[in-house]
Order: sequence, then C-alpha cells, then structure tokens
Amino acid sequence: MTVEILFSEVCSLYGDVQNPVYLQKCLPDAKFVFTSLTDEPYFVHDTPDLIYLGGMPEQIQRRVIGKLMPYRERIRQIVEADVPILATGNACEVFTRHISYLTEGIETDGLGLVDLTVKTDLMNRFNSKVWGQTAQGITVLGYRSQFSFLYGDNSENYFLRCLRGEGINPESKLEGFRIHNLIGTQLLGPILPNNPQFCEYFLSLAGVQTEAAFKEAAMTAFRQRLKEFQDPTTAYITH
Amino acid sequence: MGKLRFYTAMAAGKLSGAVLRLMKKSTCYVPGHIAVSVWNDFLSGIQPPKTVIAVTGTNGKTTVDNLITTILQENGYSVTSNRLGPNMRTGIASAFLENCTFSGRCTTDVAVLEVDEGSTPVVFPTMKPDYLICTNLMRDSIKHNGHPWYIAYLIGLATPETTKMILNADDMICSSVRKKGQDVTYFGIDAARPTDYVSSTVCDVVYCPECGEKLEVEYLRYNHIGRMHCPKCGGGSPAPDFLVTDINPTENSFTVLHDGIRENYRLINDNLVNVYNFVGVIALLSRMGLSFEQIAKGFAKTEIVSSRYNVLQLPDRKIVMQMAKGQNAMACGRSYDYVSHLPGKRKGLILLVDDKFDNVKDTESTCWLYDCDFSYLADDSISQIVFAGPRCRDQYLRALIAGVDEKKLRMVDIPKDGAKPFDISLSDDIYILYDVYYVEESYAVRQELMDRMKGEEK
Repeated sequence: MTVEILFSEVCSLYGDVQNPVYLQKCLPDAKFVFTSLTDEPYFVHDTPDLIYLGGMPEQIQRRVIGKLMPYRERIRQIVEADVPILATGNACEVFTRHISYLTEGIETDGLGLVDLTVKTDLMNRFNSKVWGQTAQGITVLGYRSQFSFLYGDNSENYFLRCLRGEGINPESKLEGFRIHNLIGTQLLGPILPNNPQFCEYFLSLAGVQTEAAFKEAAMTAFRQRLKEFQDPTTAYITH
Repeated sequence: MGKLRFYTAMAAGKLSGAVLRLMKKSTCYVPGHIAVSVWNDFLSGIQPPKTVIAVTGTNGKTTVDNLITTILQENGYSVTSNRLGPNMRTGIASAFLENCTFSGRCTTDVAVLEVDEGSTPVVFPTMKPDYLICTNLMRDSIKHNGHPWYIAYLIGLATPETTKMILNADDMICSSVRKKGQDVTYFGIDAARPTDYVSSTVCDVVYCPECGEKLEVEYLRYNHIGRMHCPKCGGGSPAPDFLVTDINPTENSFTVLHDGIRENYRLINDNLVNVYNFVGVIALLSRMGLSFEQIAKGFAKTEIVSSRYNVLQLPDRKIVMQMAKGQNAMACGRSYDYVSHLPGKRKGLILLVDDKFDNVKDTESTCWLYDCDFSYLADDSISQIVFAGPRCRDQYLRALIAGVDEKKLRMVDIPKDGAKPFDISLSDDIYILYDVYYVEESYAVRQELMDRMKGEEK
C-alpha cells in the first residue's frame, strides 16, 4: 500500500502535521511518499492508495494551487478512480472553483473539481467546532479556526451534516464536501486521531480493514469530547 | 466632541484607579478598560513620553519587558510599563492612566509597552513606537493568532516606517517584518551551535520568502529558529548586529559581540530561549544609547520572575515549577525540551497546561497539542508524567503517538489534583509545568507533594 502525503513541509498548520504520523501508526507496513513542493508528485505517474493534504498559510495556498494546476486532469482521474483523498483545513479550498483573498485583493482560480467558491478575509477569524455525522452515520468531532468560508450548493455532496456548529459558511449546516472519495473539510488538525472511527472508515475506502492506532486511548478521549460537544452549555462559536 | 469624550474617559479611568487603590486592588486592567469603554480611541489622546518602546513577539515578551523596565529604572529613568497588566489596549491604557496628567501628558521619561502581536494594528496607530523589539514569531494560540506568517503580515502592516526595529536574526519570520529602508538592528546567538539537525514537530520556514526557492539550512536549534540561506537569490537569515558568542552556565555569564567589542554579562537563566531575550534587550538598550556598564548593572540585579520559574531545593531532590504556556505549542515544546535535557535519570513531570477558561462551558481545541513536540517527553530520563486537567485524555493519546511509554503515563481531570496519581518513589527531581493561569493550582500540587514526602519520612 502506498500513501502520498502532499507538501507536508508547508501544509502542516494547526496540528495537521500529525495526521500523517497517525496514519503511519495505523499502517506500519505501508509505504509513505512525502512529496515536497519542489518534487513532481508521485500520483503523476503512479496511483497511490491514499492521499493526504493538510492546511497551509494563504501565500502557500496560492503556490500549491499553481503546483497542482498542471495536473488537474490527472487529479480528476484519480478522484474518479475512487482513490481516497483527505484535505483538511484550508487545503480543501484548493479543489474549489475560485478563491477571493479579500484583504490582499487577490483572485485565484482553484482546481475546479468542486463547484464551490471561497472568500478569505484575514481581518476576520472565525473559531467554532462541529459535531456532525457523515452520510454513513459516523460521528465526527472537530475544531475550526479560519479566515475563509465556502459558498455554493453542497447539499448533494457534503462531508458532514452538522448536529451542532456551522457548515461551509455560517448559514449552512452542511460541512465540507465529498466527491467520490475526495473528502474536503475545513475541520482542523488532528481529525484522524481525534476520530478513530472515522479514521477506520477512511482507511476502509482504500480497502484496508484495520484498527485505528492506540484505539482504546483514542476512543476514551473521543467519548469524553463527545460528552462535552453534546453538552447544551458548550459554546460553539468562540472569540 | 473627541476632547470631551477623552476627558470623560480620563476622569472615569482615573477615578476608578483611585477607588481601586483605596481598596488595595490591582489597577492594571479596570481603569484602562473603563477609559477605553468610554472612548474607544482613548490612547490617541495620550501625549506619549519622549521614548516609546514596544515589546512584541510570540514568546518572551514579559521577560523582555521586565528586563528593559528594570534596567531603565536602575539607571534613573522613570518608566510607564504595563508589565503587570494585560498586553492589549486596556492594559496599556491602565499603565498610562497611572502615569499621566489629567490633560493626558505622560509624566515619565520612557514607556515600555508589552503589546500582544495581534493587537499591534489596534495599538500602533494611536501609540507609535520609537523602538519595536520583536522576540520571535512562532505558532501560538490558533484561534487568536492563526499562523506566524499571518502575524508577521499584521505587524508589518501596523508598524510605522519611522520605528527602529530590533529583530531576531535567527528567526526568518520575525526578520521578515521589516520594511525596505527601515532602521533595523538584528540580534542572534552563535554560541552552542547544534552539531546535528534538530528535528522539531514543525518548521515554518522552508522556502525563501523573497524568491520561493528551497532554503539551505546551516543549522536549526528548534522549529525554524536557526540559520538558513537561499542558494538562488542570496537571501536568508540576516547577519546579527548583536551576537552571543559564548554562553557559560558554570560561570553564570554570556558574551555579546557588537561593533567589534566583546562584553560579558551575567547569565540570569541558561535556557536558550531566554538568552535570545537577553541579547535582544542588550541590542535595544545599546541602540538607545545606554552604556555597557549601565546595562550590565541591571543584568547583575535582575532575576526571572518567580511565578515563571521557581526551584525548591529539598535534602534529597528538588521541585521545579516552570511556566509552560498552554495553547502555545512552541513554548510548551521548548519547556519539554529543556526539562528532558536537564541532568537526572528519574525525572517526574506533572503537567497543568490545559486552558483554564476554554474548558468552562466549552471544550478546548486539541489542535495545538498536535503542533507541540511531545517527542521530548519520550526521553529515557523521564520516569513518569502526569497530565492534570480536563484534556488529560487527549494529552495521553498525543503522548502515545509521540512514542512515550504508556507505563509512564498517568492522568487526572482536576489540575490541582496533579500530585494524586504521582508516585514519589518512581522519581527524583520533580518538574511541575503549568500554564500562566494555573499558578495557584501548581503551588497546591507542590504542597501536596511536600506533605506526602513529610508523611513518608514519619
């Protein structure tokens, strides 16, 4: 099994750096290819079994889009071949149609694999969390801390239906997107160790039936968090 | 209208300060809060002193502010400082309310203002610094600070071109906040160069900020702190004007080279993070015109504030209390690194680093735990670790992922109960690492440990 981690030297914000580490613990026998921003991606000539891309600074986001744009059709092929791809934080925005950086006055086209657009406002930070469920009924808990929102209709291809918290923007209850097995979510950081059941499901999309690493400790922490996320007194939007 | 509101704000702020003083309460926050509530632009009405020094950066602000203030006072300067209060507008307003006339004229020679990095766009337009020292820019509170490149962008936008900057040459994010043509003095450390590449969980400088080429690393001390250069455009870490060439913990001294002169100062603390703070202070005060003797006099008398670092020596062991800012992944990682490298083979750690407020009617984000380098906790010299706080299960999991032996881990939900699962027989020296808001709880932990030790003696 081959797992490709894209640009982890710069796409590693807000704890995202540890998702690949956790995957390595879950898949001790897999081959991990860490592709840097100056390398040709592994997926260009071979098809990995799983791809991960983490969150990044806004300036890097534009560079990542520029790097991936020549491979847009190849990425579309991989997505249509049902290769599981997870993009967390603002990495998911790379796959959208267009990004407007309002503060800097920059407009950039994304890869256009998802019919959503993005507005990024560096002067307004949004902090919240999500208690949601995938279409398969898996509960996912996550944190968000972001400058950007997604706009458009994701009702047919959302990642999570929010039981509490916001979706792709403050008016939405549908978080992220899923196109085939390309999962994009604005949830941050340790989404895999924080959600061992989702981690196992994501790995199953690559045909791997395995237990999440440190399952007992991960589930103990998850259950405590779930209790707190379900508590009606728990604030979601924070400043 | 503006003047009327200013005088109303001034009156309300000064009155509240007088009442608080009568009640023997702190005046570090409330008077400024009231004044700013009455008039949002209150600071713009203050006539600043001859010299305004702003201290910002992710880590070390309070240490640097304290040192600068102490040394200036030691040399006869009168100083307005917000070192005991918040580092946002309210704390700064409170500091000026203490030291200004009713018309708003500051009565001291100098203002030394600790300014939260994220608050620079709010503070600097109304209180223009003559000098700005930026200690470092690293990952900090995710919800407040985003990422360090964003903070560098904010500081760069907010800082007037006339401000003289004192920047960390070994931090390429920090050194990037300068504007073209700006008066900049850089400080750095050449002593104790690491011989091997030090792997940290995150390094936020990989590509040249000027041309995008991959930087060549000369060495990294931790995270992105170190020396790099760009093979394409020749950019990279700037040359330090004030350079620590030698650190000598056994003689409690360090040497600074600047303008061709070597000077020896007393080493107040040997943690490298603090040595950066010290040389930054020396650079700033030298640029202000203070002599070596004037600065060295202050270093000879100053100590790190005991609420941040405190050692209790017992007959058979010591209990060290050290601040480790929660939600600040890099600062916490530095503390873990520091403790892991101290002498001793059976060190015991009790960690109270959850956020005191984010877990009240809320649940704290665990993202920062995954930016923090827990691998230092896997060091063989550490015999047990207690995670004390509501996020103890998350920290336990994080430690397992980092490779810490599960047999060494313990947890408890209530921070002040941190001593309860701690097995005194398994450890010699004990380190209590605590978040800034858990000072009281950490003393309670230490007291319980001491009570148990006394009980065992009997």
